[in-house]
Amino acid sequence: MSTKQLFDGEDRKILKTGYTREHPIFVVGLGICSALAVSNKVENAIAMGVGVTFVLIATAVIISSLRSLIPQRARIITYMIAIASFVIIVQKFLDAFTPAISEALGPYVALIITNCIIMGRAEAFYVTRSVRHSVIDAVGNGIGYSYTLIAIAAIREVLGFGTLLGFQVTPDGWEKWVVMSMAPGAFFLLGTAIWISRAITERSSGEEEGE
Amino acid sequence: MKAVRSLLDKLYTVPQLARFKPVIGAADAILYGTNETTHAAPHVVDNIDIKRYMSLVIVALLPAVAAAFFLFGWRVIAIIMVSYMAGGAVEVIFAIIRKHDIHEGFLITGLIFPLVLPPTTPLWVVAVGVVFGTMFGKEMFGGTGRNIFNPALVGRLFITIAFPAIMTMNWQTPFASGPEAITTATPLTTFKSTAQTSTINPSVVEAGTEQVLFTNAGAVKKATQNPQSEFAGVQVYCMGDAAYEKAAHHRRIEEGKASRLVSYGDLLIGKEPGSMGETCRLAILAGGLLLIGLRVSNWRIPVSYMTTVFIFAAVGSHFLPAKIAPPMFQVLAGGLLFGAMFMATDPITSPFTKAGKYIFGISCGVLTVLIRSFSGYVEGVMFSIVIMNAFTPLIDQMVLMFKYRPVKA
Repeated sequence: MSTKQLFDGEDRKILKTGYTREHPIFVVGLGICSALAVSNKVENAIAMGVGVTFVLIATAVIISSLRSLIPQRARIITYMIAIASFVIIVQKFLDAFTPAISEALGPYVALIITNCIIMGRAEAFYVTRSVRHSVIDAVGNGIGYSYTLIAIAAIREVLGFGTLLGFQVTPDGWEKWVVMSMAPGAFFLLGTAIWISRAITERSSGEEEGE
Repeated sequence: MKAVRSLLDKLYTVPQLARFKPVIGAADAILYGTNETTHAAPHVVDNIDIKRYMSLVIVALLPAVAAAFFLFGWRVIAIIMVSYMAGGAVEVIFAIIRKHDIHEGFLITGLIFPLVLPPTTPLWVVAVGVVFGTMFGKEMFGGTGRNIFNPALVGRLFITIAFPAIMTMNWQTPFASGPEAITTATPLTTFKSTAQTSTINPSVVEAGTEQVLFTNAGAVKKATQNPQSEFAGVQVYCMGDAAYEKAAHHRRIEEGKASRLVSYGDLLIGKEPGSMGETCRLAILAGGLLLIGLRVSNWRIPVSYMTTVFIFAAVGSHFLPAKIAPPMFQVLAGGLLFGAMFMATDPITSPFTKAGKYIFGISCGVLTVLIRSFSGYVEGVMFSIVIMNAFTPLIDQMVLMFKYRPVKA
């Protein structure tokens, strides 16, 4: 009984929704700009995924606990203040401990502030729901965003640089796919991923309706 | 023939092969034509369907294929086969998933695509390009007839951006094989690099000049007639046979110092390096004129395209000879003829209104010369056709808007 209270069916549903039915990139179409920009190497993708997940969770805590105090008219600016504070923490952390990654990510860490996933979830979910559900939702969305980013980055890094996490995985004489290290490569991969995921969802939902 | 007919009929009834019905259907329609009739107006009495219509385009491409085989050897056949197999696999997979007939457009895409590749392209790059072109150029939009861009060009574009070293640095001299046949320059590249290092069409060749490039015979005459010209030790490059003839035997130019940068005759018969199908311009002309004569393709786009390139290049090279190549060279070099005859005329991705066709051709022409002259790329045919493909619906829409304005009450 106690374990069930700790993580009940609704919690599980909220968590799963974040990376399946309401996948931020594939279904809702949020956070695509950063997904295109930083998915060129796996280590950048991991750093970005962790950063965004951290900011999501922290924002979820702040916004949902303050939800009764946030005035309706000034809510966006409130989200911005909360998000910006946490983004600066992430940025300073990366600057201090992993300067190489910080440099590779460039302005995109600072741009987490305007990442639509965080703004979107804050507006759609955290401002009306309990802290507990908000945090679970943040984790779910963080997982969805991170695994997509890492999967795309893995393909791009192998094809575009011949490496994976910096280690060479392709044979010598590998012809690098220059396009994969540029933004268009991310467009094609992300587009294909969305195409496939939509086709699968449509097919399965069509079958459900048929039954 | 009866045996084939009964075999096909039998294949239709085999339950295990039900999934592959599109494949059987395609073979049937190619061999026997179709019994399907058009459901909606307009009705034309003819037993031709798209598969057979497209086979005329294949026939028109055969001279270019034959010329490519003659010039570059067996590798051409290997590349075409890889293109058909890899692209055909994508086509069949989509036909089976989407449960529709195999779309006939692929017969052409699979043949045009290899013809616009350098003959040294590795086979796996060919496969990547054709798979990408079929998926993103065609299937993504819903298949044949719904595509916005020419699938062969989308594939070519992708591998040009993905593998710039392979696609722009390895060309093959026709009639030659082995490592010494590989050259890094097509005529367009040669012009661009020579123009950068030479004095172009000078009216006076001053002492101390190292390299001079004459783009026409008139310029040679003007420079040699000027008494102040100093030709001692000057390397003279000439565009075209007329200029070369004038310079080679001129008493003021040192013996052996005049050389021909490009021969228009060689360009016409295909002795210059280039993509497999684009080098033999005579074969392309034969195929293209056949299509226009049979009314399969329309003359408006190729004619307006090439005329625009000629006029723009003539005016441009007069004022900016260092950047813009002379008109005859622009029309004959690169993929212009092939692009204008077989790619710009694609009925799906080009306008269907008459005025639209002119607008399409003229815009392609302007873009081609601009890209060739002022961008980092030496060839602009592919880019300009793809760019104008994107504008095709807009052009048609505007033409119709101007033509059929609602009557004011």
